[in-house]
Amino acid sequence: MFSEPASGHARFKNKADITALLGAFCFFLSTIEYMIPKPLPFMRLGIANLPILLAVGLLPFKWYLLLALVKVVGMSVISGSLFSYIAIFSLAGTLIAAVAMWIAHRLGGRLITSVGVSIAGAITSNLVQIIIARVIVFGDAATLIAPLFIGMGLITGTALGLFAEKFTLSSRWFAAAREASRE
Amino acid sequence: MRLAPLDWVAILASLALLVASSLFARTSREGELTVVVTGQETEWVYPLEEDREIAIPGPLGTTIVEIHDGHVHIASSPCPNQTCVAVAAINLPGQWVACLPNQVFVRIEGKTTDDSVDANVF
Repeated sequence: MFSEPASGHARFKNKADITALLGAFCFFLSTIEYMIPKPLPFMRLGIANLPILLAVGLLPFKWYLLLALVKVVGMSVISGSLFSYIAIFSLAGTLIAAVAMWIAHRLGGRLITSVGVSIAGAITSNLVQIIIARVIVFGDAATLIAPLFIGMGLITGTALGLFAEKFTLSSRWFAAAREASRE
Repeated sequence: MRLAPLDWVAILASLALLVASSLFARTSREGELTVVVTGQETEWVYPLEEDREIAIPGPLGTTIVEIHDGHVHIASSPCPNQTCVAVAAINLPGQWVACLPNQVFVRIEGKTTDDSVDANVF
């Protein structure tokens, strides 16, 4: 009948395997994000960042950055903004937030959980986008956007972090992936 | 599951940032309310009380901003996602509507008193 693989070896051959699977999750979650109706049109749930949040304790930096790039491409293809200047917001926001999450995770060690890492990412991403909006598009007026974006980032970042923390603590799939990525 | 110390630091730092940015974004609520429209290079100011339609040129085409009964909304836009058209009309100082693709930003402000005294010297 059904037999569970004894360890991660059978499920994941290498880090590229894990990156590819998490990248596919980014595409899938970007689609879900795009389909969910929002009370405010500028609102983002940020659920497509969940694979990146999981990868922070899983992948080496090089593969981790590659995953972040895959997420940007996936999101831009799905929202139709790949070759417009809007993609700059997505690219800069995601990459800088990914680096911030990596640093928070590395420096924080046992003093931080996925919740803190997720909030660091959400707030950094939104701040970067506010700054770009200020510098290249709207000028001083962009400051008005800040409270809404920071407030939303805090709420969605906390929610996503709580989910990720529960997931990493209880998922056998995650445990197997972590095992495989050690090699 | 328990939150770790640095989680709380992240939450408190974000809250501090939220409060600071709210204070920074505060606009004057006094006097007559005006609609400030920022386009690619130009800024237009109109009274909120007079109904009118404003055509704002942007990189993609013309965005139509409508002022009606003390409310402002974007009536039409050449952008692909139409997010700006979907937003509810604004009517209070500090509220804003933006169209990122066509680079139009609309906000309501209290009138700034330019004729006030800057400094007194005795």
